[in-house]
Amino acid sequence: MTHLTRRSFVGAAALLAAPALIRPSLAADPVKLGCLFSSSGTMANLEGRLNHVVRMAADEINGRGGVNGRQIEVLTSDPASDWPLYAQVGRQMLQQEKVAALFGCWTSVSRKSVLPVVEQNDGLLFYPLHFEGDENSKNVVYMNSPPASSVLPAVDYLMGPEGVGAKRFFMIGSDYVWPRTINKQLKGYWKSKGIPETAWREEYVPFGFSNFQTLVNQVRSFASQPGGQAIVVLTVVGSSIPDFLREFANQGVTATDVPILGLDMVEADLEGLDTAKLVGHLNCWAYLQAAKGERNKKFLGDWAAYVKAKNVPFSADTVIDPMVSAYDSVHLWALAAAKAGSFAVPEVRQAFANLSFDDPSGYTLTMTGENNYVSRGVFIGSVNEKRGFDVLWQSADAPKPVPFSPYG
Amino acid sequence: MPAFAAPLDRAILAGALCGDGAAQVGAAEGLVRAGGDLPADDLAYAGRLLGALVERRLACLPDGALLLAGQNAPEGQDAVTDARRPAAEARAPVLGLRQRAAVETARGVVALLTEGTPAARAAGLAVLERRITIVPAAVLDRARDAESDAALKGTIASLAEAAALSSPDPVRRRAAIAAVAASPSGAAAARLDALKSDPAYRADPAFRVALDAGLAQVRRAVAIGDGLAIVYNGLSFASILFMAAAGLAIIFGLMGVINLAQGEFIMLGAYTTYGVQEAFRRFVPGLLDLYLVAAVPVAFLAVALVGIGVEALVLRHLYRRPLMSLLATWAVSLFLVNLVRVTVGTQNLQFSMPAYVSGGVPVYADFVMTWNRLFAIGFAVATLFLTLLILRRTPLGLDIRAVTQNRDMAACLGLPTRRIDRLAFGLGSGLAGLAGVALCPIYSVNPGMGSGFIVDSFMVVVLGGVGSLIGTLVAAVAVGGANVLIEPISGAVAAKVIVLVGIILFLQRRPKGLFAVRRRR
Amino acid sequence: MQTIRARPAGPAPRAVRDPLVAGLVVLCLVAAAALLAAPPTPYLVNALGQLAAFAILAVSLDLVWGYLGILSLGHGLFFAIGGYVCAMHLLAHGASVTGVLPDFVQFMGWKTLPTYWAGLDLAAYAFVLALALAGLVAFVFGLASFRSRVNGVYFSIISQALVYVAMLLMYRNDTGLGGNNGMTGFPLLFGWPMGSPRVGTGLAVAALLTLAAVLAGTRLLVGGAVGRRMLACRDDEIRLRTLGYSTTRLKLGIWCLSAMIAALAGILYVPQVGIINPRVLAPDLSIEIAVWVAVGGLGRLGGAVIGAVLVNGLKFWLSAAMPEAWPFILSGLVLLVVLVLPNGLLDLAALRPRPIWLRRGR
Repeated sequence: MTHLTRRSFVGAAALLAAPALIRPSLAADPVKLGCLFSSSGTMANLEGRLNHVVRMAADEINGRGGVNGRQIEVLTSDPASDWPLYAQVGRQMLQQEKVAALFGCWTSVSRKSVLPVVEQNDGLLFYPLHFEGDENSKNVVYMNSPPASSVLPAVDYLMGPEGVGAKRFFMIGSDYVWPRTINKQLKGYWKSKGIPETAWREEYVPFGFSNFQTLVNQVRSFASQPGGQAIVVLTVVGSSIPDFLREFANQGVTATDVPILGLDMVEADLEGLDTAKLVGHLNCWAYLQAAKGERNKKFLGDWAAYVKAKNVPFSADTVIDPMVSAYDSVHLWALAAAKAGSFAVPEVRQAFANLSFDDPSGYTLTMTGENNYVSRGVFIGSVNEKRGFDVLWQSADAPKPVPFSPYG
Repeated sequence: MPAFAAPLDRAILAGALCGDGAAQVGAAEGLVRAGGDLPADDLAYAGRLLGALVERRLACLPDGALLLAGQNAPEGQDAVTDARRPAAEARAPVLGLRQRAAVETARGVVALLTEGTPAARAAGLAVLERRITIVPAAVLDRARDAESDAALKGTIASLAEAAALSSPDPVRRRAAIAAVAASPSGAAAARLDALKSDPAYRADPAFRVALDAGLAQVRRAVAIGDGLAIVYNGLSFASILFMAAAGLAIIFGLMGVINLAQGEFIMLGAYTTYGVQEAFRRFVPGLLDLYLVAAVPVAFLAVALVGIGVEALVLRHLYRRPLMSLLATWAVSLFLVNLVRVTVGTQNLQFSMPAYVSGGVPVYADFVMTWNRLFAIGFAVATLFLTLLILRRTPLGLDIRAVTQNRDMAACLGLPTRRIDRLAFGLGSGLAGLAGVALCPIYSVNPGMGSGFIVDSFMVVVLGGVGSLIGTLVAAVAVGGANVLIEPISGAVAAKVIVLVGIILFLQRRPKGLFAVRRRR
Repeated sequence: MQTIRARPAGPAPRAVRDPLVAGLVVLCLVAAAALLAAPPTPYLVNALGQLAAFAILAVSLDLVWGYLGILSLGHGLFFAIGGYVCAMHLLAHGASVTGVLPDFVQFMGWKTLPTYWAGLDLAAYAFVLALALAGLVAFVFGLASFRSRVNGVYFSIISQALVYVAMLLMYRNDTGLGGNNGMTGFPLLFGWPMGSPRVGTGLAVAALLTLAAVLAGTRLLVGGAVGRRMLACRDDEIRLRTLGYSTTRLKLGIWCLSAMIAALAGILYVPQVGIINPRVLAPDLSIEIAVWVAVGGLGRLGGAVIGAVLVNGLKFWLSAAMPEAWPFILSGLVLLVVLVLPNGLLDLAALRPRPIWLRRGR
């Protein structure tokens, strides 16, 4: 409960000195980290989890004595899925609370909102989501993969003999920059492979769209046309994902007829669905819950224990990639700060070069000095009956991230 | 690739299924090819192994394979010797898509040839039907000859006939074209279309005539099926709009109150349904499938009570200030969303979907009637009749209509208008609760699910004409139909924009909507 | 139509002087002077500037809702028009100085800024364009609505649909103004780097001064003959029309003015928050504007300012300090106001008795 009490102190300037009075044994004030994840609004179900995982990582580090002799204090907020509010809260965290780093944002637009704030204040934002790439700010650490190093391997797999030998592609996305960029790069990639333009179709739906009957009809008729195996590249986000999957299954289309590659699909999207009819559909991330290895086992156990101990309002046995990415990002920051011997952003940034961290996915995360991207492994997951993903394929090592796609 | 001639070498099969992707595909395809000749017990054995593989109960050891009782079980039976062995170091392979398709087909063959019940055999046949091009004639012949169920026998026979598209015998070929054309679909059209490049198409006039006729028949049927699908999609979308708007129409028509919390009432209805499901799971698990039916009265009453509570606590004080009541209901909606968020959580609720609301049935050509949408349509129709019944045939309905038309006169005649307001608000909220029940099988249920309805449903109410339930119905059908018709042409986003702009323009010309109820103020 | 034009008899309906507005104007000027003399932390400067922009927006809505009885649930549209044009100016200006195209333009695959951006790097043109565009949209929509006598809640619903349509349109990537991400990454303002404290202070001072000017201007308007006609129209439009006044013209004029003030708020808001995207077109936000006005005090220009500052100030503070409690506090505040304080928080100060029209209602 300590952080709850502490959180409510934030902003009340008069009370800010209180922790120091209560715990005079502490040599130095704690160093603050800020979270920008919504716990209300449309993103709440996904982003809400990340607040807790950041806390969990901070607790781990504090348990080992903190960083540079100081404990970590995590400040959370609720930008309420309201994009300009991310910028506002981010500004408040950086300028008023003087946080050493920010961890936050899920959608591209929230990152874009915060971007000018961190750049103007020379802050650090750790961004845990895979995203559209084509951005390289020195103030953002891109924890997850840009499309060229995550989506393309997955599509390659599906086109290859191990996958389904996909020849035709139906792209369905929410109408915004991430799906459009992914699809643009995919089209460029297919063109480079000599696939004709008639082999793909592209459709976009508004945010929160749920009436997928017509689109699924179109997918079925697209798939029945000659020209080879068709697949769906699904880049809708949020509640559109389960709604699409449900309609797809209800119309009797299975993964062996037309597989879906759901690029934003995580375990949490399968909550509330009967996945027996969805078995075999794919996603691709830098971490899957089914990843092998002791590190993952420990992480899953830690999270379950944390949920139980702190009464976290999220499932104890669902862990999704962005959670691990957020967890990794706290550790990476701590490693960099320890290496730099300082919390000042320029020095921490310098320390990113050649940093590495063994994360729960089983891969070793590495950073180079060239950019703020992180090398991660690639997993392709396959939906199973138990609302989870089995690991179908994983990359041999962590490919070097390619911020700017050559195909788009 | 191992040969799967009779009798089956069980060790080789188990080894292949534990091998790499290519070996798995080879084994499964081998089984399909040999399916016509293998003895029944070999088939059943292969079926067990394949089933275990699909369910990840097949554990592979360096020296053999184990069948586990459940995933990650500590020990299992050796696939060949039946001996019990520990499964500690074993690896349970995950099927890739290509392997999964091959294994599914092989399981279909096994099911068709060995299952005990006609339903299970029919399910196997349905799998084979999807990949009819790779199913050997021998399998279908054997199944047809062994089949005891007359209807299923007929289905197998026509499928076998249709499978002979590339038969050397021109008569069988023409019969196959006719058989394919008899069950039309987009895939059938593609199959027939591919035959146009067959040399026989040029050489054999009879073949050409048969193919052209068959193709024309299939194309016509597919077009009709697509038309039916459009109608069905339009109706189902309209029924959702109607369900969401019906309660609003009553509340708005009677009291002029814009209830911005209506979407949250829908959400509460869905959460009540979840509560009913959990109660069934706890107390009468045997009747779990009926929870949706049981939820109907519960959701109606629960949400109606919430509505009456909101009316009594908040709106009662605001009837003279409709614009303030709008803000008050906005606050109520904000409160409800966050209350549910804090108490239940933000995740999508887990519903167990009974058979009558999951899946669908192919009706004609490519048109699949999905049960959950049909449920919503039926639900909307029932709601419409029930509401009309209440409004037209009950004393409360008479009172509601009287107050809607002329509040002051009704009050002068001694009607307790405030009580009627409250009951009507309860009725309108209860209808939202019903909409929540109907939406459970269609949409994800989470605290924010109601927010998407509010603009659409208000447009439907205003377009239909305030106070007219029939108007609401017509408007819902018009909006739903227009959306579905425009969507394939311009995409979903533009369809929504076009429809909304159309409504706005229409309302500028006819502010009272389609069916204006004459009223005095 | 206006042949019979009677002078209103009896005392003017309300005092020409409004001490609250006067006080607020002075406060704005003092705050602006204080910012220039001794700027506090950049965060506070920025927050103050944003609050001033929101206050202008609230005043614009109060003008039509409080004084004309027209509740627009689509005022976010005009705010967004101002914001978008301002963002286009900032990007065009940045591109003309640095030579780097904005990233969404690059994303669309365009080599230059589209032709309709021509001239937008001139601040004066952009400013005029923003106001003109907002006025034009308001004029077309208002003309159609007021002529066919769409009013009351109907007008509210239709205006809500209008802003919703605009949101859907702007979400579309193909509309070409940045889609869902909107526009961000403004490099320069009048040649100054965007992040510098001086620019921040300048923007906040500009917002405060504009708020003062808007308050003074609207106060003059509603205090005069037009104001009396507005109140008459609000309380009984049919009677006013019967008396020979063209209520359509009156409503249309004020409606367009209100839209332009909202656009002004948008112009001031965007450079301070650093991003504009379709989120400001969400129907929720437009309802929230009405909430600010209602909380502060409907029908009082000062009330709108107080409401906007209070609600947004609380939001800024509590979304970080008590994220769980904020939605409950907001909904409780709104319910409290609509049930107990029909004139908003101004009732608390008992600055004036409850006006007749609220008791009679409409």
